[in-house]
Amino acid sequence: MVSELTVLFRRRRTWAMLLALAAVPVLIAVAVRLASSPVAPGRGPPFLDRVTQNGLFVAITAMVVCIPLFLPLTIGVVAGDTIAGEAGLGTLRYLLVAPAGRVRLLIVKYAGAAVFCLAATLTVAVSGAAIGAALFPIGPVTLLSGDMIGVGESVLRSLLIAGYVTISMLGLSAIGLFISTLTEVPVGAMAATIVVSVVAQVLDALPQLDWLHPWLFSHYWLDFADLLRQPLEWTSFGNNALLQGGYLLVFGALAYGRFVTKDILS
Amino acid sequence: MTRRLRTWLPVAVVPAVVIVGVLTVPLQAGAAVDLPDKTPAQVLAMIGDSNVTALSGTIEQTSELGLPSLPSTGSGADASASSALELLTGSHTARIYLNGPDNVRVQIMDRLAERDLVRNASDVWMYNSKDNTALHVTLPDTTGMTRPQPDGAQQTPAQLAERMLASIDPSTAVTVGKDTRVAGRTAYELRLTPRTDATLVGEVSIAVDAETGMPLRVEVQARGQSAPAFSLAFSRLSLDAPNADLFDFTPPAGAKVEEKTLPDPSVIHDSAIHDSAMRDKAMTGTKMPATAEEAKKLLEELKAEQPKNGGGMLPGVTVDGTGWASVVELPAGTVTADLLANPLLAQVTESVDGGRLLSTALVNVLVTDDGRVFAGSVPAERLQAAAVGG
Repeated sequence: MVSELTVLFRRRRTWAMLLALAAVPVLIAVAVRLASSPVAPGRGPPFLDRVTQNGLFVAITAMVVCIPLFLPLTIGVVAGDTIAGEAGLGTLRYLLVAPAGRVRLLIVKYAGAAVFCLAATLTVAVSGAAIGAALFPIGPVTLLSGDMIGVGESVLRSLLIAGYVTISMLGLSAIGLFISTLTEVPVGAMAATIVVSVVAQVLDALPQLDWLHPWLFSHYWLDFADLLRQPLEWTSFGNNALLQGGYLLVFGALAYGRFVTKDILS
Repeated sequence: MTRRLRTWLPVAVVPAVVIVGVLTVPLQAGAAVDLPDKTPAQVLAMIGDSNVTALSGTIEQTSELGLPSLPSTGSGADASASSALELLTGSHTARIYLNGPDNVRVQIMDRLAERDLVRNASDVWMYNSKDNTALHVTLPDTTGMTRPQPDGAQQTPAQLAERMLASIDPSTAVTVGKDTRVAGRTAYELRLTPRTDATLVGEVSIAVDAETGMPLRVEVQARGQSAPAFSLAFSRLSLDAPNADLFDFTPPAGAKVEEKTLPDPSVIHDSAIHDSAMRDKAMTGTKMPATAEEAKKLLEELKAEQPKNGGGMLPGVTVDGTGWASVVELPAGTVTADLLANPLLAQVTESVDGGRLLSTALVNVLVTDDGRVFAGSVPAERLQAAAVGG
């Protein structure tokens, strides 16, 4: 497990992706800072107009911007690479020669992807808070309900949001893991995972398919805003965790079935 | 081969378990409920007897009116008009907190935004997180005012229920449906079915909490549509008093605040008498929390009363027909040529013989070319016939 994580986080690619994610809030903050006129409320991404008043909103705005594309993109790369990457490099055979067992390898690979989900969301949150604090005043945060909370509690809520987004990405990671066991071409698995996430979001946007919406893993992605209400709304957190758990079980089982019965040739 | 089968077994079992779990959990929630039988009058009397003063809960509203969902304009002068329309279309989730008659908080939860209404005694705040604006209304002091006593004040809710049932009986069949469960609470279901086929309304059902008599769900079914045309229901409800600081609202720093004071009550008092007496009658003295439910009930009451009132509501307004199938006619000039040319109107209406038709699952509105308006819960042909006949 530890070696898996060190391999993952020693890769230049992982660092490049985290850097790109960290750049999103920086870009937003600098753009808002340099803009001559203040942002009109209701224009641009949600919360953008709050940024000038309170730097802590940079992290939240960045989260909204990252969730639909950037986060699934990086997670698709990591999750799609898990098994197929080893197969593509020809190292999968050697991994399985060691008396570790395929199930264990699968679990370790998935755990690595999950840790990356957490690292990615924390990167966005932390770099957003840091750049916000550097460029804008920091003060009590206005919640969606219009109530204000202190800086301490707002940090707590930011961490909760990071947790929520991490959980949101677990389902996609499981799908990526499964796709990764199907092929030996890592790029194919990565692309397929990203395509799946985009397709799910497109389906989620079609009102004609609203019976399907609660079953899409991307359905609750943007509902992290429920954590910014007063009192805290836990319903979507629970629904999301349940849904992602379901995806994890189903696709974990499929990946297991596929990987255990697969003939490893490379 | 058997080994292969064995390894694939968990693969089949896990998704199967997940699917079975997904299917059975809602079934359990909707498991059959058996409450002691009650007559419609008894259920109505329960509503009258209910004295819930504190609650916190979540309300889900869905409508399938067949209206095109309007583009929600971000800002601008018509925001209030379009937001009222927007509430009628689509689905919404709101949280409601109530403590006594003076402390109310309603939160309409939009995606990544929220609209709040807070009432703390005479202070009413409206806050919209999307454009970060707040509206502060100071209500006039009503403590010294005597409200007109509704005629039903001396009657018990049970008597009132009997009387109300008798008054709507010619147009509407009231029955008690199967016992249900709403927001985890057992409930009686009161069904109001129009006795005529000429209306678009198929059935109105009200779920009444078996314990407190509070309405928990209102559904309006449209004829020829399986999903309810309009539904308003608690999805979560707790009768504990909510935290007091919820009602303590101060506008956030940086928000645009608009102040408004309502005119002195004695000025508008006279016109309100009829209104409030009517409402008191409809509510039979309840202090019902959910205002939308009140409105719904008031509407039904008004609908039932319409034939009696005849055309006496407003000058120029005539009512044709009785009960559910009545058609309201507004005189020429109600809709000006400007409004007729409004692109928004053109977008939601369709062109028919003799004018433009706004068609929804429950109500049809016909605007004739000469500016008369016909509205009713009836098929469009009936409106057109009324327009030609009148």
